[in-house]
Amino acid sequence: MEFDDKVPIYYQIEQYIDREIITGNLAPGDQVPAVRQLALTLTVNVNTIQRALAELIRQGILVSERGKGNFVTTDTMVIAKMKRRVIETELAKTYEHLAGLDMAPAEMVAALEAYIETREEGERHE
Amino acid sequence: MNEALTIQGLSYRRNQKQILKDVNLTLPDGQIVGLLGANAAGKTTLMRLIAGSAIHFRGTIAVAGETEVALRKSRVSFSTQLDGFDANWRVGQVADVMAMLFADFRSEDYIQLVSLLGLSQKQRIKRLSKGNQRKLGLAVTLARRAQLYLLDEPFDGIDVMTRKAMLNSILQWKPETATMVISDHHVEDIERLLDQVVVIKDQTVVAQEDADNIRAQGQSIETYFESFYGGETHD
Repeated sequence: MEFDDKVPIYYQIEQYIDREIITGNLAPGDQVPAVRQLALTLTVNVNTIQRALAELIRQGILVSERGKGNFVTTDTMVIAKMKRRVIETELAKTYEHLAGLDMAPAEMVAALEAYIETREEGERHE
Repeated sequence: MNEALTIQGLSYRRNQKQILKDVNLTLPDGQIVGLLGANAAGKTTLMRLIAGSAIHFRGTIAVAGETEVALRKSRVSFSTQLDGFDANWRVGQVADVMAMLFADFRSEDYIQLVSLLGLSQKQRIKRLSKGNQRKLGLAVTLARRAQLYLLDEPFDGIDVMTRKAMLNSILQWKPETATMVISDHHVEDIERLLDQVVVIKDQTVVAQEDADNIRAQGQSIETYFESFYGGETHD
């Protein structure tokens, strides 16, 4: 995993696990790897992993079962809400970038639609 | 929370030269701490003082609450203890010597660490490359069950692949409640491992900050460190 060295690492790990859930690499009810295993996989401090997991547990995205470990929630509403939030964050970034180029909302929509169309065409020709 | 290290009003002179002055520092249990500073800022001296290798200082140093030198030594695992070894010894022999010197040295851990780091038991110390000597130093240091680990520039002259193996050994072997201090003047070697950062400049500790708090302000650890030195840290 690539880290941004200007963003708190525990927050980047939260986002990493959110994405693993959204893409289905971690399914509802799946067990999350043990803290030390995650620390080794991502080469980060055990305390940082614990902080990220505690935050995900607080949000209800992970559920901690005493003596067993941490599991992805089976509450699909919670996952859907998290997914919406992640998408909104991405949209907000794109919006800010385009607004910074002096684009009006209608222009953004038109440009995005045109972009998707040419992109899909390009992929069909590959 | 207990304190792994408490230093109060520490000053140290050698050959009429002030090396450290009025150092105050408290580190909790269970953390990895980056000790950052330019070359000759006093990082190694500070570690030697904590480990009990240098004495005749002013102020107090307590490791897990213990100020007396012999008791401190028994609680601290310091990376440069390797310097006292006979260059003719083989990697495997080091375990016998360390087990005699330190009650908390675990030979079985040492053997695992050595093989994890890709060293052979049969090699003589003097035949090891500089990088392999660093690995040996790390294996010796981590094979003790100490309360405080001090690693002095462990990645000096180490290539990227070796560094990765060393970082993994640290993450795998540091006991959960023990604290580890790693000195480095290339922050990027260790920044992802750190709970907090301590900056040494002008013979004293000038800053101590939580690593993710620094990042939360949109700053990298490196930029933060350089802000104390004005870009003069690179060799």
